[in-house]
Amino acid sequence: MTSKILGNKWALASLTILCWAIVATFSTGYFYYQYENLVSRTKKTPIHANLGINYGNGTIKWFNNTEAAMGATLLNLTEIVAKVNYTSWPSMGAFVNSIDDVENAHPYYWMWWIWASYGWMEGPIACDKYLVADNETLYWYYEDTSVSPLPTPP
Amino acid sequence: MNSKNLAVIITLTALAVGTNYTLISLPNVKLMDFICFIGGFLFGSLAGALIGVLSWLVYGVLNPYGFVLQVWIATIVSEAIYGVAGGFLRKANINFGGKSLGQIVFLGNIGFLLTLIYDVITNIVYAHVIGQNLLVAMAIGAPYTLLHEVSNALLFGFCFTPLVSSFRVVGVYDIKNIGK
Repeated sequence: MTSKILGNKWALASLTILCWAIVATFSTGYFYYQYENLVSRTKKTPIHANLGINYGNGTIKWFNNTEAAMGATLLNLTEIVAKVNYTSWPSMGAFVNSIDDVENAHPYYWMWWIWASYGWMEGPIACDKYLVADNETLYWYYEDTSVSPLPTPP
Repeated sequence: MNSKNLAVIITLTALAVGTNYTLISLPNVKLMDFICFIGGFLFGSLAGALIGVLSWLVYGVLNPYGFVLQVWIATIVSEAIYGVAGGFLRKANINFGGKSLGQIVFLGNIGFLLTLIYDVITNIVYAHVIGQNLLVAMAIGAPYTLLHEVSNALLFGFCFTPLVSSFRVVGVYDIKNIGK
């Protein structure tokens, strides 16, 4: 059997890939543990973020320096300053139906944005999956989603 | 077991223990596993296993990193696996004389997988002794585990063939030839 493995390049390649998979699995386990450990250790640390809410009718409210705990999501942060109604979709996350009773009405929906070094960036994931960083600026924008590309916050 | 066998086993055990103390500052990078494997390959599974067991009997007790009875027993048993595997490889009757990438890859993988078995066994015992979840223990120890496996893969892959070839040249390819 050993000679067969040694003489078969595909068997050798498979063996090498197996070893590589083990290395990758161990590395993933290690970094996952370190990440979980870091999150649990810093969970209660207070952070501050700026949150803007644009109701689409000319009203824009800014909640600067809003305090939250490390590990808070955008949904958590929003719930601190406003009344939020949302639906949780398994695996997808929370879909915001209304903020302060301003409800989605096609084609107007609540979209969220992140302030980056190059300007506004559309929120890439559900608001309950996004962990807020200290000193970050986030923005809820009730906007017309039928327009492409999506209008950035003013 | 005759005196010739005993002499070989004890000499290789001394070499394994000596190199372990020499490399004490490099955690988990050791020649001991490779020496046990070579011992098993050249002189049979029993000899290889005994080299592993005897090495840990000494190194495990006089160990600057400390002593835990259960882990010590686990390492003694696990170390023997290298020697037994070396003996089995000899029985496969493969010519390890030439230079071939396939041989390097094969032996490297053998070294990696044997070390994985060793690490898993010792980690299970370690986690049980300190009352820790096995997955957590393995995740925390992953850098050391990987260092052990990769260093052994390199040792087995690159050093086995030249060493066996040189043993063949000097005529120490079989215990029967020693002393002739």
